[in-house]
Amino acid sequence: MITTKSVGKKRRRTLEAGIVIGLILFLLFIAPLLLTDFRLGLLGRFLALAIVALGVDLIWGYTGLLSLGQGIFFALGGYAFAMHLQLNLAGDGIPEFFGLYGVSELPWFWQPFYSLPVTLIAIVVLPGIVAGLLGYLVFRNRIRGVYFSILTQAMLVVFFNFFNGQQKLINGTNGLTTDTTLLFGQQVGSDRMQFVFYVATVIVLALTYGLCRWLTRGRFGRLLIAIRDDENRLRFSGYNPAMFKVLVFAVAGGIAGAAGALYTVQSSGITPQYMSVAFSIEMVIWVAVGGRATLGGAVLGALVVNWAQALLSEQFPEVWLFFQGALFLLVVTVLPKGIVGWFRDDAVRQIRDLLGIQPQLNTYPDLELDPDVKREQRELAGK
Amino acid sequence: MANKILEIDDLTVSFDGFKALNNLTFSMNEGELRVIIGPNGAGKTTFLDVITGKVQPTQGKVRFKGKKLSGRSEHDIARLGIGRKFQTPRIYLNLTPRENLELCCNQNKNVLATLFKPTPKAERRTVGGLLETIGLDHKADKPAALLSHGEKQWLEIGMLVAQSPDLLLVDEPVAGLTDDETERTGQLLISLAESHSVIVIEHDMEFVRQIARQVTVLHEGSVLCEGTMDQVQNDPRVIEVYLGTETSITPEQMLLLRIAATMAWADGDFEAAEQDIILERLSRQFAQATDDQATLKTELKDLLAKKIPLEELVPQLQTPAQREQALMLSYEVIGANQINQAEASAYHKLVTLLDLPAETVSRLESATMAHGSNGAS
Repeated sequence: MITTKSVGKKRRRTLEAGIVIGLILFLLFIAPLLLTDFRLGLLGRFLALAIVALGVDLIWGYTGLLSLGQGIFFALGGYAFAMHLQLNLAGDGIPEFFGLYGVSELPWFWQPFYSLPVTLIAIVVLPGIVAGLLGYLVFRNRIRGVYFSILTQAMLVVFFNFFNGQQKLINGTNGLTTDTTLLFGQQVGSDRMQFVFYVATVIVLALTYGLCRWLTRGRFGRLLIAIRDDENRLRFSGYNPAMFKVLVFAVAGGIAGAAGALYTVQSSGITPQYMSVAFSIEMVIWVAVGGRATLGGAVLGALVVNWAQALLSEQFPEVWLFFQGALFLLVVTVLPKGIVGWFRDDAVRQIRDLLGIQPQLNTYPDLELDPDVKREQRELAGK
Repeated sequence: MANKILEIDDLTVSFDGFKALNNLTFSMNEGELRVIIGPNGAGKTTFLDVITGKVQPTQGKVRFKGKKLSGRSEHDIARLGIGRKFQTPRIYLNLTPRENLELCCNQNKNVLATLFKPTPKAERRTVGGLLETIGLDHKADKPAALLSHGEKQWLEIGMLVAQSPDLLLVDEPVAGLTDDETERTGQLLISLAESHSVIVIEHDMEFVRQIARQVTVLHEGSVLCEGTMDQVQNDPRVIEVYLGTETSITPEQMLLLRIAATMAWADGDFEAAEQDIILERLSRQFAQATDDQATLKTELKDLLAKKIPLEELVPQLQTPAQREQALMLSYEVIGANQINQAEASAYHKLVTLLDLPAETVSRLESATMAHGSNGAS
């Protein structure tokens, strides 16, 4: 029995790897042929959003931490990359916008972003550290549930107001533009660079998927689920859930940072609006629509919701917000497990019911073999 | 002398001035199976909360294997070797029984070790064996949410064992189980006690009788008494707090009846029929319906079987009015038939113990006589 089970597990894993590789190849080689440059650009941005959705799924779907402040880490990654690109453009001088506010000397925290390797590391590590620190303070004090959600949203507002108000440091509400800047001597907004970023996004998405899959399978993943189910019980088994939550929150922060950087360069720049309350809540909605605690669901949810948004707002610009609200209501009431969760658990049965096919009942096998039960079944059949 | 695994010294826990535990002192040897009983609100669960670090003591010390436990967090105490099973089964419903056990079995509970180290073969084997012991091997890979209540209780006991603690704290393991399951749980606990120290908190007296060797009774946050099941059951204080609250009439009324009956029993050589008549008459004092009278009669009989002397019963009377009532009732009982020597001296002793003024005694006696003769006519 154990052997058949492990064979089944292996087969499932191979199947999953096959699907993921197939999708990567499709996105890299076939999608560019099918889509216009404009549509491909959209897809690239949505794939970047799918990366942040994976992080949200990791902390919310698996660990039960409903963070409404992922926008902080998303924007930190974006700002880090945009600062490097601005410095690239400025060359020996300082970025143009500083002139508007009479700043003649580069603020100290811009200095490290001259270097590309440092920037690339900072894109992931900086939001990761910020998330880890915030998480440590919150989780050590055993703040959980709704209080955690409210607190993350409050932190989001604090960060938003700070970035929005500091013209002399990071250009305040105008944000930093990237499409006119240079990377490797090429303009970031050019079609060629945009395609490079598209490819990079697909690769980072695949790597993030692999990382999340590695974290959520095995004992660590089961521990995350145990934290979601009954965190206090875990303490009496000898685990300190606070440290596990800090780690996973920091990882999700790093993932959001990478996503933010990739989204920024494909969206011609970053503004503090990336830290708006609505945007962070939307990230949660993507995961809910796709299916909590299913990694595929997080990616699917981000793509479906954003693609629907793009199409609908082209056709009926004013309708989108109503549609998004309705979509969320629909998911909560009709598909509480999200699209993937429904497909996995209920789809087969419900479709069978619709078609009127009698389902095969799954009772206890040992009950079926019980002589008394067999006799009763015969009697019932006789009547 | 055997090593002490748990020593609790002068422990007090107060919540906003309410003392859930009050100067509690308790100790337990290594390898012992101890059952803790006590009425609701006696502080049993708080007692476990303090040991496991969920609640910090207001005053006093808890030592486990000689190490102080105060100031340590729950997971730290669990790693020292104290495992706890909760009153209602607390298992991880979205994991399978096998995964539940594997989580607890993990020997290194650091974040990084949990992440990077694969589950060792030895642990897998332990989990396999445990699944068989708790009878869940055929449901090992179904979500634990699908288990029945009894199976969940067993799984949680299994999780406790997987943790391989030195001291197991088990809170009401048979709540909501069938008789058969209760019996099997008892056997499981007894076999666990061979290699662990175990503290069981329980309400179910039948079950306590099955497993108990040493029993500690908690009452209002302190240890009331300790001993074997028989000793504890015959301890008058235990009967008072336990049975006293479970009789069909108020404890005060029961006390009056017991004093009167004890007095009447002083004679010592009643016929069974005669005893019955007295009990019958006494039980009619406080119960109207025939059924209630019958219950009261058996309760009274059980209490009398403990042979608690008047010297201990009388001081429990609270008010002068109660003392007067006790006198009247006793006088009525012995006055119903010919008073013999033994009865007379017992009555005399009662009057002395009651310590009522002489004129009150004679007033009450005559009043009772008049009332009694009226009743007879």
